[in-house]
Amino acid sequence: MCRRSKAGSGTMNEFALGFSVAALAKGVFVTILITFGASLVAIAFGLVIGLIRVSPRRPLRWFGIAYIEFFRGTSMLVQLYWWFFVLPIFGVTMSPWTVAILGVGMNVSGYGAELVRAAIQGVERGQYEASTALNFPRLVMMRRIILPQAIRAMLPAWGNLLIELLKGTSLIFFITITELTTAAKLAADATGNYLLFFAIALFGYYLIARLLITPIVRWLERRFSRGFVRELPI
Amino acid sequence: MSEPMVRFENVTKRYGALTVLDELNLDIERNEKVSIIGPSGSGKTTVLRMLMTLEKINDGVIWVEGEPMTHEQKNGAMVPASDRHLRRVRGKVGMVFQHFNLFPHMTALQNCMEAPVSVLGLPKGEAEERSAELLDMVGLGDKKGHYPIQLSGGQKQRVAIARALAMRPKVMLFDEVTSALDPELVGEVLNVIRQLGSEHDLTMLMVTHQMGFAKEFSDRVCFFYGGKIAEQGPPDKLFNEPDNERTRQFLSAVLEAG
Repeated sequence: MCRRSKAGSGTMNEFALGFSVAALAKGVFVTILITFGASLVAIAFGLVIGLIRVSPRRPLRWFGIAYIEFFRGTSMLVQLYWWFFVLPIFGVTMSPWTVAILGVGMNVSGYGAELVRAAIQGVERGQYEASTALNFPRLVMMRRIILPQAIRAMLPAWGNLLIELLKGTSLIFFITITELTTAAKLAADATGNYLLFFAIALFGYYLIARLLITPIVRWLERRFSRGFVRELPI
Repeated sequence: MSEPMVRFENVTKRYGALTVLDELNLDIERNEKVSIIGPSGSGKTTVLRMLMTLEKINDGVIWVEGEPMTHEQKNGAMVPASDRHLRRVRGKVGMVFQHFNLFPHMTALQNCMEAPVSVLGLPKGEAEERSAELLDMVGLGDKKGHYPIQLSGGQKQRVAIARALAMRPKVMLFDEVTSALDPELVGEVLNVIRQLGSEHDLTMLMVTHQMGFAKEFSDRVCFFYGGKIAEQGPPDKLFNEPDNERTRQFLSAVLEAG
């Protein structure tokens, strides 16, 4: 009886461990996918809202301010709850994945829009004056002259923001998605090995940031640095 | 006599309580070369910036080739110009700045090509040909692929001149274009301007501290003082026997400084 129970618990542990590792791998995958999708949303919306925020048209500017104030000024988790639990009351029902990507992405885009605005306003006045003197329409000036310079200036801050976004994705646990943190917690609960699984979670986030986000931002920084420095940075 | 290329009619510019230009009246004839001199704060740079529409004016009208630039005529009344009208008239004017304002993320050639392609809608090949020709003309045929950071101040300013010319303006404005240059680089930029003046049909209006160049190059020199033209005339007259006491004082101070 004693032997059987021992053997049983051994099997149980191995089973839990194997199951947990598979779940953990899936959690990593989910976190990466949501981070990727939400980053695209954050970048696209951040750029558009940031541009709107500096528009010469007052109603557009006001819309930009309201957007930023809302998404930056209220809790991300409460926003996710609204998307997931409140909107269905009004007949708008979205899958957890859609909510995760849009909800996290739009929350972060509020901060991103401010980065975009600061970078656009930071481009030297002389660049705007030269563009006026060459008769550029405003949108062409933005696209060809101002944004390429502004993007270079805003990239390091975007690097920070996207790493923040990655870590913020753990909140999607509350809308039923098992991502990295949740998978680590479940695995730790099932096996009792809290040290191991939370160590894995800790390094997991670090590695995703270091291996996926940082290299992309660095690569973009190099790309947009042409002409600003005599030698491209390493 | 034909209508002037540019006419400032009672143009006033104020910054808050400060009146920078006080009812300026100034006609510039086609192909005329006019230099504007004067102490700092006299409003001379503001004249160019208003004509380039970088500053709004508070009163008066600016005319380009007989057409109001700052206003347009609607049902017989003068109303402030729409963006479309402004862009059409502004196309006749080009400007070179004290601090070059080249686009740092583009090569010399791209700096010159960008506006002809994306503003005038020229095919890339044609814009490139035009730009290359102009860079050759300013003596930078071998620097087409260089970024601004790889060029000296004098070279940057010559690219800026080529860039403005690529839009085929009728009026060129030069705003203290040699003031930010090391002394030994001033000559190469002035030579390009000199060559422009002699080989092209261009109306040129320049704010300058290079009295020697203004004297040799201009058809007319305007001395600004306190937001008004205190004295104007042919360079020989203005530099050698000015009528106005202010002009005399300014010239002796400037010439003394070398």
